[in-house]
Amino acid sequence: MVTIGIPKALVYWKRPLFWEGFFKNLGFEVLLSPATNREIVEMGVKKADPETCFSNKVYWGHLMWLDKKCDLIFVPRLKTNEIKLEYCPKFFGLPDLAQILVTTPILTCTLDQKKRSFQKSLEQLGAQLDKNVQDVKAALRDSLLKEKREELKKEEKFFKKLASKKPKIILISHPYNLYDTYVNLRTEEKLLRLGVQPLMLEEVPVRHRKFLPKRKGAAGDLSEVDFHWEFAEEIVEKIREIFKYNITGGVEISSFQCGCDGVIKEMVEGEFKKRKTPFLYLIIDEHTGEAGLQTRLEAFVDTLH
Amino acid sequence: MPREKTIVTFAGWGNYTVAFKTLFEQLGLEVIPPEKTNPRTVSEGAKLVPDMFCFPMKATIGNYLPALRKGANTIFMVQNVGGSCRQRYYGAIQNKILKENGWDIDFIDLKITPKNIYKKVKSVSGASFSQIFRAARIFFKKLWLVEKVDRKAQYYRPREIQAGETDKLVDYFLARMERADRPEELSSLETEIGKKLLKIKVDKNKSVPRVGIIGEIYTVSDPHINFGVERKLGKEGIEVHREMDVTYHIQKIIFPWKDWVIQRKINPYLKSTVGGHGRDAIYEMLDYAEKKFDGVVHLLPFGCMPEVTVRPILENIHKEKNIPFLSLSLDEQVAEAGIDTRLEAFVDVVKNHHKKYNRQSLS
Repeated sequence: MVTIGIPKALVYWKRPLFWEGFFKNLGFEVLLSPATNREIVEMGVKKADPETCFSNKVYWGHLMWLDKKCDLIFVPRLKTNEIKLEYCPKFFGLPDLAQILVTTPILTCTLDQKKRSFQKSLEQLGAQLDKNVQDVKAALRDSLLKEKREELKKEEKFFKKLASKKPKIILISHPYNLYDTYVNLRTEEKLLRLGVQPLMLEEVPVRHRKFLPKRKGAAGDLSEVDFHWEFAEEIVEKIREIFKYNITGGVEISSFQCGCDGVIKEMVEGEFKKRKTPFLYLIIDEHTGEAGLQTRLEAFVDTLH
Repeated sequence: MPREKTIVTFAGWGNYTVAFKTLFEQLGLEVIPPEKTNPRTVSEGAKLVPDMFCFPMKATIGNYLPALRKGANTIFMVQNVGGSCRQRYYGAIQNKILKENGWDIDFIDLKITPKNIYKKVKSVSGASFSQIFRAARIFFKKLWLVEKVDRKAQYYRPREIQAGETDKLVDYFLARMERADRPEELSSLETEIGKKLLKIKVDKNKSVPRVGIIGEIYTVSDPHINFGVERKLGKEGIEVHREMDVTYHIQKIIFPWKDWVIQRKINPYLKSTVGGHGRDAIYEMLDYAEKKFDGVVHLLPFGCMPEVTVRPILENIHKEKNIPFLSLSLDEQVAEAGIDTRLEAFVDVVKNHHKKYNRQSLS
């Protein structure tokens, strides 16, 4: 039986349950790499280009871990999403770079919804694995349902957290930083211990849109930027949404050398400044120490009262 | 808000700055040219810009500031030059940063489409269509001349008998070009350049190693940013080739099929665009390897997303095709001495490579 390895980092966290479920439904065995640990990060840092972002380095670590442990490693090429917004340019080259790095063959599919629908791309992926269209469709339906159920649970969790009496802090980052507890040095847990209730930006419910919104005024007003990045659009939209609830402060986490975060941070900080809400910006990389992070979080929580 | 008088400044870009200056002057705008990039402007810019941002942003803000102090109040910036990269947000972020620091400025963020450019330029300058057309013509002529001088110098530098003669001439031409702003003047300057360059005594039979320069367009074509890599290599007796310049970029915007050619060639290495000029770097490196060059220098701003993404692939090609490769990341922390040391070592490698394979230069 063919085993497909999925690195549990970066693009995995965009749709955590989907890919796993999809391949299982197609009748493959799935091998997930373990949660990020020190060994994995070290392996990645050694192999990666020194200037690429920390999240990428972690991803290489996961790839190295999976190398020779499975028959195929799945590395999707995410290009555009359903409303034609682009993903990070570093995602575009992932499969090609992975090919250089590992000896196990890479299984890839290009998700460019500007040109091809999601289902069509998956059908092509299925064809690569000798599965017919019916099988793919059934697998897709099933895993989408599972994903939907999980999303509802996520929303429920969010409102449960929101009902808490403690001061609420919104954690802002990409999903691969938010959910990977080794990478973000258990920021959520640390905040809980400091007596505040952290909320995940990822869980903030927003309406799913079918069209690209236009914010920028006709006169070229530069205070409002139309992002062409899917995650930037999402982050800004969710931050605007979260201010409708009672939020005490925000913590943004970004990986060192994340190019996109350089832009997003300016916008996010602007939103917080406009509303005079406390805001903390943390940069994480392989050298970040827990003690340093703890001190900064403590100081931040102290400013809230 | 309407101003009494629009005084324009723009981002400096190496030797092309003179061409951009003429463009705005021909449109009937008052121009204060940006200061040439130097360590002082760079450190000034780096102070304002968030440190996660890439180097060209810091350098260009450094260019504006002296001009703003002299009285400029409008800044031109183009967006979306290179696809999916941070450059798209330069305008928005620079506008925000400068306003936060108390500069009362108008920021004109141009989208690269002919219609948008025409509309914006018209609204700012009030120039007629024929005036815009004329300005564009002179601009392209000047740009072309600058690039021609650059290219010719690449040939003459390693072969000149009296050291430094070419560079002296190039500096003289650039100074002359700065003043010339009528088409006739430019034409006569062009003939003069041709004549004077021919007078340089060269050793035609010298076997010259060849090195290609690839990478991000801004760092590659601005000698103030890359510490004059081209000149330094030329002085060491190496012929430098560079495909990346403004004309190349504009041609690529107008004629998209160049991209298809590139994609077909690099397919075994990278199957997608990565924004910016990531694909072009791979294409050029493969091209240079095929033409039996003796080395490739890769220039990029520190943390440039497209170039960093393709760098492992370039390193892979370097191993596969056995071509010396040097990658230089540039930012405000880099000192000239460090670059010099690395270049010197690289020059030795290139010369040895040239000797070992006993290659005759073709040109």
